[in-house]
Amino acid sequence: MSDAVIVARQLAKTYRTPFRRKRVEALRGVSFEVQRGEVFGFLGPNGAGKTTAIRCLMGLCAITGGSADILGAPVPSRAARQRLGFLPEQPYFYDYLTVGELLDLGGRLFGMAGADRRRRADELIARVGLNHARGQNLKKFSKGMMQRAGLALALINDPDLVVLDEPMSGLDPVGRKEVRDLILELRDQGKTVFFSSHILSDVESISDRVAIVVGGVIQDVGRPRDLVSHTLLGTEVGLRLGDDATADDRAAIAAAAEKVRDSAGELLVSLAAGADVDAFLALARTHGGRVLNVTPRYQTLEDLFVRRVEAARAARGVPREEAGT
Amino acid sequence: MIGRIWAIALNTFREAARIRVLYGILVLVVGANLLAVVAGKMSMGEQARVARDFGLAGISLFGSLTAIFLGVFLLYSEIQRRTIYAIVSKPIARWEFVVGKYAGMVLVLTVLVALFAAAMAGLLALQGLAITPAVGKAIALAWCEVVTVAAIAVFFSAFSSPFLSGIFALALFAIGRVTPDLRAAVATSQDGWIRAVARGALAIVPDLHLFSVSGETVDGAAVSVHGGFVTWGYVASAAGHGLLWSAALLVIACVIFRRRDFV
Repeated sequence: MSDAVIVARQLAKTYRTPFRRKRVEALRGVSFEVQRGEVFGFLGPNGAGKTTAIRCLMGLCAITGGSADILGAPVPSRAARQRLGFLPEQPYFYDYLTVGELLDLGGRLFGMAGADRRRRADELIARVGLNHARGQNLKKFSKGMMQRAGLALALINDPDLVVLDEPMSGLDPVGRKEVRDLILELRDQGKTVFFSSHILSDVESISDRVAIVVGGVIQDVGRPRDLVSHTLLGTEVGLRLGDDATADDRAAIAAAAEKVRDSAGELLVSLAAGADVDAFLALARTHGGRVLNVTPRYQTLEDLFVRRVEAARAARGVPREEAGT
Repeated sequence: MIGRIWAIALNTFREAARIRVLYGILVLVVGANLLAVVAGKMSMGEQARVARDFGLAGISLFGSLTAIFLGVFLLYSEIQRRTIYAIVSKPIARWEFVVGKYAGMVLVLTVLVALFAAAMAGLLALQGLAITPAVGKAIALAWCEVVTVAAIAVFFSAFSSPFLSGIFALALFAIGRVTPDLRAAVATSQDGWIRAVARGALAIVPDLHLFSVSGETVDGAAVSVHGGFVTWGYVASAAGHGLLWSAALLVIACVIFRRRDFV
């Protein structure tokens, strides 16, 4: 029996723009499964359909094709939402409430008893580091504090599944690290985390599996290390030339490389995948170069992501300058 | 279910209590009552009549306008500010959310009507005038009207913008207040179109005139808050009319709201 917590089968979402009634296909047959206990990253550029897919799964908008189950219950249904916690993208909450009152409201909606609500709220406020702001209205919260309040609200019912829509968006590096740590902590507690992001490093560093969605279609699903090929793409060499190096020395090095960039007195040299690195290093030394580092470059999730995005855009005839729209 | 509806109602009450416009309306109502005192003193022996009429008209008019304002604003702002994302993703049915919002508005409007009535009673007392049972019944009828108007506004805000909802709700409020004229048009107009339009309006608009009958004829007898007024049985019957309309409007609003996409 499958231990899938989220099952999406050929999810489709089509809507019409308000005035011109133009038909927009936001999701075009999205299928994936999220297994119990894993951190699943939902990766895609802006406008790829990540948020639409999440909103469909959360019951915020109607699915126009396909179907989905959450924790064994069909979407949309109250049963599906009973054991999940959700953090919307750029969350906005009732700004006249304190974080404690917000969590109390959330707890009431889950039917939690008063004592349980207070105990859980106290735990979560401490856990997300908002004890110092307990007495403040949310109106006075910074973006990062609001995000943390939203995370606390998403966890008020001690959910089995936590769905986070762009949880690191707009956060500073410290805030992003705190969110990453929280996601890993949730995984350690046996919870399933499904989160969307377009920040590749975040997704790659904490996800057990990822799905790449572009143009409302899933392009790849799998473990990050399985998705990328282990073929050598090239080698990066860092060089420092001596003070007596001439223009001819530079020209000789450049002629042997695929690409050369000059950065603060150092040459960053890119060699093609098939290049003879030893021969190049010998050549560089002959021309007065001191080798600082040699880094083989394999395909990364970013390479795959960019390739998928560009391929999807090329297929739709979208020019490069419209990237990210 | 009750707990979730109550949670939304309580939150709506908190939200509304922070709307400064409501305090402005309260000041306006107190001002209208003060004006009634002044106008009463200038009238020849009609002090009580003027004070009560002004006070009750203030409750009905300002209460209904407040109901329209809250009805069109509170539901829409949840969507516009996206606060609704964090709520409807919880195990709450959409209809529970709509009913909770409406219940919260009823709470707010009840407090406001009570404050309006207290202001009127206080100013009547200053003039040595008492709140009579007739005035009590008129206040109860005004409250029924106000909560019915709130249901009208919530109904429109389930599918249209605040501006349009406000216009539609105001139009229905105005038409609902002139149902005797519409009935007269149906009975006496020579123009078939006018009769058809009046008949159609009577069918689709709550009879708000039922809640404001002082100075009118009810069941063939003249009624007035200054003399013989309607019975509590009439008040209950009018409340039943308002309740049925409110329930019907909320059911339709819930059905529409259930189908809405929050994208």
